[in-house]
Amino acid sequence: MRRAETLLARLEGWVFAPGDPRRLAALRIGLSAILAVRLATGPYVELAGQPAALFRPISFLRLLDAMPPPGLVAVVQVLAVAAAVLAAAGVAARVTLPLAWAAAVPLIAMTSSLGKTAHNDVLLLLCLVPLLPAPTAEAWSPAARRRPAPGRWPAPAPGRWPAPAPGRWPAPAPGRWPAPAPGRWPAPAPGRWPAPAPTSRRYGWPVRTVLVVVAGAYFFSGLAKLLHAGPAWVASGNLRWALYASSDAQPHPNPAALLVADRPWLAHLLAAATLLVELGFPLVLWRPRLAWLFVPAAVAFHAGIWMAMRLDYWPMAATVLVVMVDWPALADRLARRGAGGPAVAGAPSGERPASSAADRR
Amino acid sequence: MDRAADRERVPAWARRFVAVYLAAFLVCGLLGFEAWPLTGWRLFADARQARQPGWQAVTVDGAGRETPVPFRVLPAGLQGEVQVLKGFPDLSPGERAAVCQAWADAAERRSGGRVAAVRVYRTETDVSHRVGERGAPPPVRTLYWTCPQGGAGAPG
Repeated sequence: MRRAETLLARLEGWVFAPGDPRRLAALRIGLSAILAVRLATGPYVELAGQPAALFRPISFLRLLDAMPPPGLVAVVQVLAVAAAVLAAAGVAARVTLPLAWAAAVPLIAMTSSLGKTAHNDVLLLLCLVPLLPAPTAEAWSPAARRRPAPGRWPAPAPGRWPAPAPGRWPAPAPGRWPAPAPGRWPAPAPGRWPAPAPTSRRYGWPVRTVLVVVAGAYFFSGLAKLLHAGPAWVASGNLRWALYASSDAQPHPNPAALLVADRPWLAHLLAAATLLVELGFPLVLWRPRLAWLFVPAAVAFHAGIWMAMRLDYWPMAATVLVVMVDWPALADRLARRGAGGPAVAGAPSGERPASSAADRR
Repeated sequence: MDRAADRERVPAWARRFVAVYLAAFLVCGLLGFEAWPLTGWRLFADARQARQPGWQAVTVDGAGRETPVPFRVLPAGLQGEVQVLKGFPDLSPGERAAVCQAWADAAERRSGGRVAAVRVYRTETDVSHRVGERGAPPPVRTLYWTCPQGGAGAPG
């Protein structure tokens, strides 16, 4: 009992630890962009013309007798795409992101109302949920460019800095800060705000919740295979028969499907690898470096499914990439490389090189 | 990690939101429960057999010639045929007639010809029997239902 409590407390400590606003902003940009592309290219208006006899509604669409009318669907689609684009750009993200999600849900539910749950957009929708109430636009957005991080740096009058409240101003590293005239601070160079401490608990939990969702999605996919098929999923001809059936259903024989299905050893190997990747995916939460193994494996897995079975899971693969890659770390690395070396040396705690401070906004 | 961030407190609503959301996500995943967009993640979860039962829908013209309904090239709303056919036995005669009518209308719009009837067959294919790059022999078919255009339909 005590061990369970300790474990739960550690888990809670991990989820609610401070985080970088840029990582949260990267999720907003990446996931909203995927959503925008998906919504702009989806066959929703075409689906709206479906005869009522073929309507097999899912979830809340069971309240309807048929697909919603095409005119209404077109309006919702335009609204959803516009909101998703604005959310990706960081424009009024507190409003545009929830609006994009709310408009996307019924549209994407339509694609699953043909009798079978289409999972290719589900992970994207689920990963957006923790972002809906989160402050996702406090970095890498137009608003963040215009103002310093809220509550940390008071907005100065042009050419003048108000005197900080006692004890609220970090002591500058000796020699790195120009001494201000009493009551007056020099204006920072445009786009080069001195970096405030970037992390906050407000930015950490949405990112870590999304990480759990991605890891859980793969784990539960593997678990479902074990529960419904057991070892036969790997040990039997399961994958061969699925690939033969898929190739036979396509207008022309599929060389990628046949390449695997004609070689039993390869089919068993790929089936085992699939289960290992799916069941092992949560390890990236414990050891983030394992993402270097699991993320390319998951992307390759979706690419392989597309090549062999023509099933389009690109939104799921793209979601994994957006969520699992530490984009701020990558941006910092690129900025350091651009500056010709590790410019962080000697920087005060919490401060990054000027180029990366500019990136932060 | 800066100390200000360490001293911060996460709002109670955020804790409750994360707890409820992750609990719902985990319960659906563990129990295979579908509450879309929450899902049980049953992706290719069943082990396929070499002998695979299925269904086929064909249109019949005035001369009695059969043509498979070209679902692949029909509008997106008509491409859920696998699931509709799987549930075909559970439909009432009136619902079956409505489904057949929808397919016949779409096929007529596509080909320009008149559809006299729609037939639904049960099939069984053994995908392990191969001839070149295709499955062989052709699937065994059993007529399950016939929908004459303008009529209610009948078994066999």
